[in-house]
Amino acid sequence: MLEKITRVDKSRYLMFIVSLFVLIVGLGCENQYYDERLQMRLQQLDSDLKDRWSTSGVVILETTPNGPADKAQLETGELISYVIAEYPIRSTGDFNSTLKKGLDEDNNLILYLKDKPPLRIALRRRGDKVGLSVEGNGTVRVKQIQPGTPAANADIQVGDLVEKIVDERKIYSLDDYKKTVSKLSKQQVTFRTTELIGVKIAAVSALGELGDTRAIEPLIDIFRNSTELSLRKSSISSLQRLVELSVLNDLFQQFQRANVNQLPADSLQAQQMESAAILGLLTVDRAENTATLKAPFGTQFRHRSEALYQKINEGQLAELAQEYIQITVEPEQEIRRACLAILGILKPVSAINPLVAVLENPAEIPGIRFQAGVALRQIGEPAVDALISAFESEDTSTKDIAASALGGIGGIKARDRLIKALETTSEPAIQLTLVDAIAKIGDAPSIQALQRQRQQYQGDDDSGIRIFLDEVFKNLTQESM
Amino acid sequence: MKKIWLTFVLVLFCIGCGTQNENLAKGKELIKSDKRRKEERAVREFKLALQQPTDNAEAYYLLGLYNSQEFYEPNTPDWETASIAERGKQMFLAYQGEKGKYLERLVFETLRDDDLDIQNAALDALKRVYEQGDRKRLLSQLQKAIKSSDNRDRHNAHWVLGHLGKDDPRTIVPILVKLLEHGRTETRLNAVKALGEVGSEDAIPALAALIESGSAKWARDREEPEVRQLAVEALGKIGGAAVPELVKIVENKGSSLRVDAIRALAVLGDEKVVEPLLDALKEQSSRDVAIPLN
Repeated sequence: MLEKITRVDKSRYLMFIVSLFVLIVGLGCENQYYDERLQMRLQQLDSDLKDRWSTSGVVILETTPNGPADKAQLETGELISYVIAEYPIRSTGDFNSTLKKGLDEDNNLILYLKDKPPLRIALRRRGDKVGLSVEGNGTVRVKQIQPGTPAANADIQVGDLVEKIVDERKIYSLDDYKKTVSKLSKQQVTFRTTELIGVKIAAVSALGELGDTRAIEPLIDIFRNSTELSLRKSSISSLQRLVELSVLNDLFQQFQRANVNQLPADSLQAQQMESAAILGLLTVDRAENTATLKAPFGTQFRHRSEALYQKINEGQLAELAQEYIQITVEPEQEIRRACLAILGILKPVSAINPLVAVLENPAEIPGIRFQAGVALRQIGEPAVDALISAFESEDTSTKDIAASALGGIGGIKARDRLIKALETTSEPAIQLTLVDAIAKIGDAPSIQALQRQRQQYQGDDDSGIRIFLDEVFKNLTQESM
Repeated sequence: MKKIWLTFVLVLFCIGCGTQNENLAKGKELIKSDKRRKEERAVREFKLALQQPTDNAEAYYLLGLYNSQEFYEPNTPDWETASIAERGKQMFLAYQGEKGKYLERLVFETLRDDDLDIQNAALDALKRVYEQGDRKRLLSQLQKAIKSSDNRDRHNAHWVLGHLGKDDPRTIVPILVKLLEHGRTETRLNAVKALGEVGSEDAIPALAALIESGSAKWARDREEPEVRQLAVEALGKIGGAAVPELVKIVENKGSSLRVDAIRALAVLGDEKVVEPLLDALKEQSSRDVAIPLN
């Protein structure tokens, strides 16, 4: 007797353990589900994704090859946010049963009337009336609209032709998905997927920071082909970042050769230091006179810098940027600016003419025209001829930007043209730009030319140009001191 | 005989009165006043107070609290003794005088000061307590603070624990990991932050489990989103062996923390993450896909 009791207890105990185990395993897998019919594995979204990205749905983890999901070209990683069923309306019966079915769960469906925009019908409470009755067979028309109902407030007239009803179900969880799909089991449905733009944008900007060559082509692809403006913007700024990083290649090589993370700051060129400081990759301690590669990123990146440098200088990016600085190609100014910045760093001679075209374009916004001038200045000497001919233009802004770019480049040819212009022009705005440009060149003939101007306006106390010249000379003497 | 005893006690009492630390009292009086440069003058008094036989603990504490390098010419001996480390040492000497009182004061009062120098001096003092003093008691006070209902105490405790953990992760990491189970969200939050600051790879499994709890079936098993988000940041600070964990998050298409993980990885600059990121870019755009269900 006693033995029997213990045996029963034992088996009970075992059963308890087994059922507990099943329960635990069951719970553990609860955020995944294998859809037998479509042959794909789905996963529940993290509970808070909905709050953070205002997205909902179930994610496809994998599709079985040649299964229905695979054949429909659903892909791993896609987020199914809506399941949509379409019901063509061919009789009064169709209409009534579809309405009932559609409003059963979420009180929400879309009515398509011929020649009218789709109407979203939402009921406040379960059981409320839509307020619409129809008639006909084959073609179904609106027969009556009850006052005080959703139908009465919408753009519906008696006699409108009813085409179809679309039931759009938002999916919040795996349970929603299972329920909806089983309800619609005899139906052709549409899965509406949502792109997680936030994730892509984060990936795009991370790739810009990581400085890896493998990112260039995918980024160009997104930039050229994505329909999401925010994604395009972040791809071009990541590409710009990669171009900036590539410029630091020889600096990274120095660190590499020395196999250290610290170098004496003296051994770096001023320009290297400057761009490194802008990029925030180096921390320079002037007192200690050391440049320190900023870890962990900088230390990791130096091994990849050469490959990036080569890839960036293959010419593909310069070509891309030249294309997208044109307002006719790219309506978004932020993108045009990024492309101008890229050209300023890469300095391709082939970009001179497109840049001059931007500079001269009266339809372009002034800031961007000016930035084109800056890019030409960065290209330097090879751009002088093009800038001189731009300077011959009648347009004041063009003249202004070209003159200041020429001043930035310097050299005998640019200088002589500017001095000649200063001596022949009487337009005050241009005069100021010319003085500024010539002062920037600052060699002996330039100073002499400015002194000649100064004498010419000797007696004229109110002259803006005289005051400006005084200011210029004051700065020049301060600099020489 | 009784009389003699009474006189003796009376004499002792008077000696006691006479030797009460006058400089200390004067210094404290100055601090309370609204006199010009009161701190600088008070500090002078506290220094004098230390030369007297009584109340040294308090004098040390107040010296550590109010001294400042701003009072002195740079590179003079006085200036040297007003450094953060020296001030921390003075606070530690106060602790050595009266352990219980000053330990509590350092943790629950000094750390709360708005002055960063004072906070750092207190941190230095607590590090010394950890090395040379009653470590067990210090840790129990810090745990009390990180569980406190006052946000300042929790924050300060996480800060100190983070620093102590850098030098001794073996002791500190298990304490912090245990705190991840505490009932108060903010306590767990600060424990996670401290684990990030410690930067020890020992914390990775606990942080990973906490992050994964986001997809648990029952709400009660899920960690709060903000704590999980900070856990991702902490993994980023740990780096090294945490990289594969972060990559796993990026690859988990249902995770709400993919963006956070990507950001953390971007800073680390590890080459291993390029492929998972490129994969993320290949994910389909929004679209409608027709499916026959029959």
